[in-house]
Amino acid sequence: MSGDRAIVLGGGVNGLVAAIRLARGGRKVVLFEARDVLGGLAAGEEFAPGFRHTGILHDASCFAPELAEELGLASHGLALGPRDDILSPEAAGRGLVLSADAERTAEELAAHSPEDVARYREYRAFLDRIAPIARRLLSSPLPDPARTDLGSLARLAKDGLAVRRLGRDTMFELLRLGPMCVADWLKEWFRSERLGCLLAGPALDFGFAGPWSPATNALLVRHEILSGLAPRGGPAALVRALEASARAAGVEIRTGASVAGILTAAGAVRGVRLASGEEEPASVVLSTLDPKTTLLTLLPTGTLDPALVHRLEAYRSNGMTAKVHLAVAGSVEFASRPGERIRRARTGGSFDAVERQFDSAKYRQISPRPILDVSVPSVGSPELAPEGDSVVSVLVHWVPRDRADGWSDGARDQLGNLVLAALAEHLPELPAAVQEIEVLTPADLETRFGLAGGHLLQGEHGLDQLAARPTPELARHVCPIRGLFLGGDGAWPGGGLTGWPGALAASAVS
Amino acid sequence: MSASQVWDAVVVGGGHNGLVCAAYLAKAGRKVLVLERRHVLGGAAVSEELHPGFTFSVCSYVVSLFRPHIIRELDLARHGLELIPLEASFLPLPDGDSLCRWSDPHETRREIARFSPRDAETYPEFGMAMSRIGFFAKDIIDQPAPDPTSLDPRELARLLRLGGRFRELDPDLQHLNLQLLTMSAADFLDLWFESPVLKAPMSVSGIIGTFLGVRSAGTAYVLLHHYMGEIDGAFRSWGFSKGGTGGVSRAVASAARAFGATIRTEAAVERVLLEGGRATGVVLENGDEIRAKVVVSGMEPRRTFLSLVGEENLDPEFVTKLKRYKLRGSSGKVNLAVDRLPEFTCRPGGGAHLRGDIAIAPSVDYLERAYDQAKYGDFSERPYLNVVIPSIVDPSVAPPGQHVVSCFVQYAPYWIKEGPERWPERREAFGDAVVDTLAEYCPGLKESILYRQVLSPWDLEQEFGLTEGNIFHGELSPEQLMFQRPVSGWSRYKTPVNGLWMCASGTHPGGGVMGAPGELAAKRLLAERAV
Repeated sequence: MSGDRAIVLGGGVNGLVAAIRLARGGRKVVLFEARDVLGGLAAGEEFAPGFRHTGILHDASCFAPELAEELGLASHGLALGPRDDILSPEAAGRGLVLSADAERTAEELAAHSPEDVARYREYRAFLDRIAPIARRLLSSPLPDPARTDLGSLARLAKDGLAVRRLGRDTMFELLRLGPMCVADWLKEWFRSERLGCLLAGPALDFGFAGPWSPATNALLVRHEILSGLAPRGGPAALVRALEASARAAGVEIRTGASVAGILTAAGAVRGVRLASGEEEPASVVLSTLDPKTTLLTLLPTGTLDPALVHRLEAYRSNGMTAKVHLAVAGSVEFASRPGERIRRARTGGSFDAVERQFDSAKYRQISPRPILDVSVPSVGSPELAPEGDSVVSVLVHWVPRDRADGWSDGARDQLGNLVLAALAEHLPELPAAVQEIEVLTPADLETRFGLAGGHLLQGEHGLDQLAARPTPELARHVCPIRGLFLGGDGAWPGGGLTGWPGALAASAVS
Repeated sequence: MSASQVWDAVVVGGGHNGLVCAAYLAKAGRKVLVLERRHVLGGAAVSEELHPGFTFSVCSYVVSLFRPHIIRELDLARHGLELIPLEASFLPLPDGDSLCRWSDPHETRREIARFSPRDAETYPEFGMAMSRIGFFAKDIIDQPAPDPTSLDPRELARLLRLGGRFRELDPDLQHLNLQLLTMSAADFLDLWFESPVLKAPMSVSGIIGTFLGVRSAGTAYVLLHHYMGEIDGAFRSWGFSKGGTGGVSRAVASAARAFGATIRTEAAVERVLLEGGRATGVVLENGDEIRAKVVVSGMEPRRTFLSLVGEENLDPEFVTKLKRYKLRGSSGKVNLAVDRLPEFTCRPGGGAHLRGDIAIAPSVDYLERAYDQAKYGDFSERPYLNVVIPSIVDPSVAPPGQHVVSCFVQYAPYWIKEGPERWPERREAFGDAVVDTLAEYCPGLKESILYRQVLSPWDLEQEFGLTEGNIFHGELSPEQLMFQRPVSGWSRYKTPVNGLWMCASGTHPGGGVMGAPGELAAKRLLAERAV
């Protein structure tokens, strides 16, 4: 009976996407999610009585529109709209708002840094020019240089031609920009570092790098290329639509079902064993859990080649992010934008200020003045909080999982206080209005979401770990154990709620 | 020589690359003139008697990457080139212990085993893997950079050949190559070794001369340089040039002269002579005009174009690219004359451990903190030092019983927060930081100093024409290497100015006392029948 049965591990965005693709391909699919709610890092949850957030992650704008179309998410309630405007607040001054609306951004820049208005237009035009080819690369299986069959060569030739058609200057620029640091490249473009920091943010989020770290520019371009329309209602809304689509496709979803092991026989998977002791047979297990958990924890020891075990152990997945949720009485107002209803903000106005965050993390400390990535999801979605009240959700990057003194209740409280103090610089009324605070350290996130190392991208986005994710032999979603597939953010093309790792892994199954 | 004489080539700058280029051109029968602004040849590969009886390798202090085929083709041994291999790599530690890596692998293994038996086993394996990749990389540094944007069938064939060679490597080495190109030196070494005592001094070769830290992505591949150096065909050997690094330049100059080249010192070039957009010679600072079929610049590229050619004579797009070419020097040099052999607390007395290079690099965090200070515009209070005492193995450079101590120092950013022109006010404080750092391991050092020369990046620029004090004529970061050095599309020594060529470290394959850019430029000039 396990003949065509496929098991998907993990009910996050990748797990749901993979399950739907597999089910639509004619398989009987069971999805196991350890938690009681689906969504993983994109799950919306109540964190204080009457107050809900829309996901640990703030940004779902990288979710592939091609997949939304393929999986019929619109008919399951998904509405896409422009990304949220994002404010870089200033303690004294109006700061800067970056908007998906070109007009709005131009107006903001005209007031903030006039010569950047035209430069910003050119910057977007450059990205638009390279987007089609870059998107194709990031939404296809990783090219394999060792393969010389006609299909692979044809694809290589096609991609090569597409790059050539961009012209020699753009080609040179493409080859030049990847290894650079974001600060250098953005300083070439723009005069305003505040603008640069807003753009650089997503490239640096969750990672062990600062704006002066080489090769971060490749991540900036990756994000710019992937980021488009965002689900209305945030990551949680995406999860709701995916769940509906999965159920419609006949996927059996079992929440609260923690998997304790992957069962193998004669070099192939034969199912999973749940924490409750039951065994579930299957000929295919597609795991969207992080690669270390999947291969080092769930597989019986001795199953894998020791060299591969060594590589997986060396896979860098030390968490760099903490999360704080605040239940706030009344509305929140940024001092730099009185009267405006701001949904997203990111502090930090200079590359050096951001770099200093990374400096602290390098020595396994937390910056005494953390830079914050703030979301106020209750703006525009009042149902998330009691009447008139607000939800403030804060991602704090450069908070190391391997903190020198370890994580304790005291350290958690200290982090919460640092975040409140940093928020108060821009939201002076806020601390007095906070009713409840939930602080999730990287250690808490590791435990709650079963993420080895607590890394919110399931592993660093170093170029080595992107081009061979998580290791060279596992970079194409298949494993040495027949029937076992990797489809989480720890697989190609990496993290950020794109849906592609899950989708590509599902394609690798058939 | 008559004023109306037209040279085949005039080379601006008598650094080692300019001299190598001139020697190859002269060897091919071309009439070549080299013009050097200073009174002494060699550029940054120079020896000077700064204090009576003491000869210093003022800037570059060890030789390793110098291409062996150049030594053969120019017969440099006959012209006095003599390389003395370094015998050890010595790391004194703050806790009174030390690590010494010797040229004898068994002794090295014993020494490393004191810190980690596992690392002692891994160390030779690591060296072998790196050498195999280094061998692959040599193919790239000994030939002009491949151009991936060209449609020329020869270029495509070359790219395919390189791709083919890459595919011939076994998958493990391919992966290693990927890691080397993308990882930080610290992360990369973490994959191999466990002992912090070993990792810190090893990681540091990934950052020499760059404005990066050992935790910066992309620094791992510079580790290869350590395994690509060759003396007499033996990989991984670093050496002193007898009489100082200037010995290399003197030998090349002697070879060039023997082939018929003319070399003039104290002949500063003011600008390139342009006629109808073509370079037809140079004008010296004293007003003399010298005419030549081609002008070959051994100077750093940005300086070549912006000060010798002039922005008004260049395509604005090209100027933009030159201006964003990253130089930002990060290192300085402190040269000491001392009246006795420096003595390290951890290994008292003289001995073989001093007959090589000495690293002050006690931990990865130490190195990273040194870098952090530089990022925000300060020199490191406690810098990384690479110290050599060449007078131990080459008595010709100091009076008997006395020594020259050369300290390469990182980080010393050109762009200090006060502004680079304020370096003269900070210079001595910088020198003090260096001496204080070394004296922590060598307590008697301060009392033994007879003379001290402190070179900040600003001084390197003023004295040696190293723009922004960058010792490699431009960062060796991936986006400024190969077909992108110095700017995309102009990596073949030719420039947008007809008749003007480049031949120094700002071109492929880059900086270090390699001689490769000079050689490759000369060969290209000859192949294209430009002279």
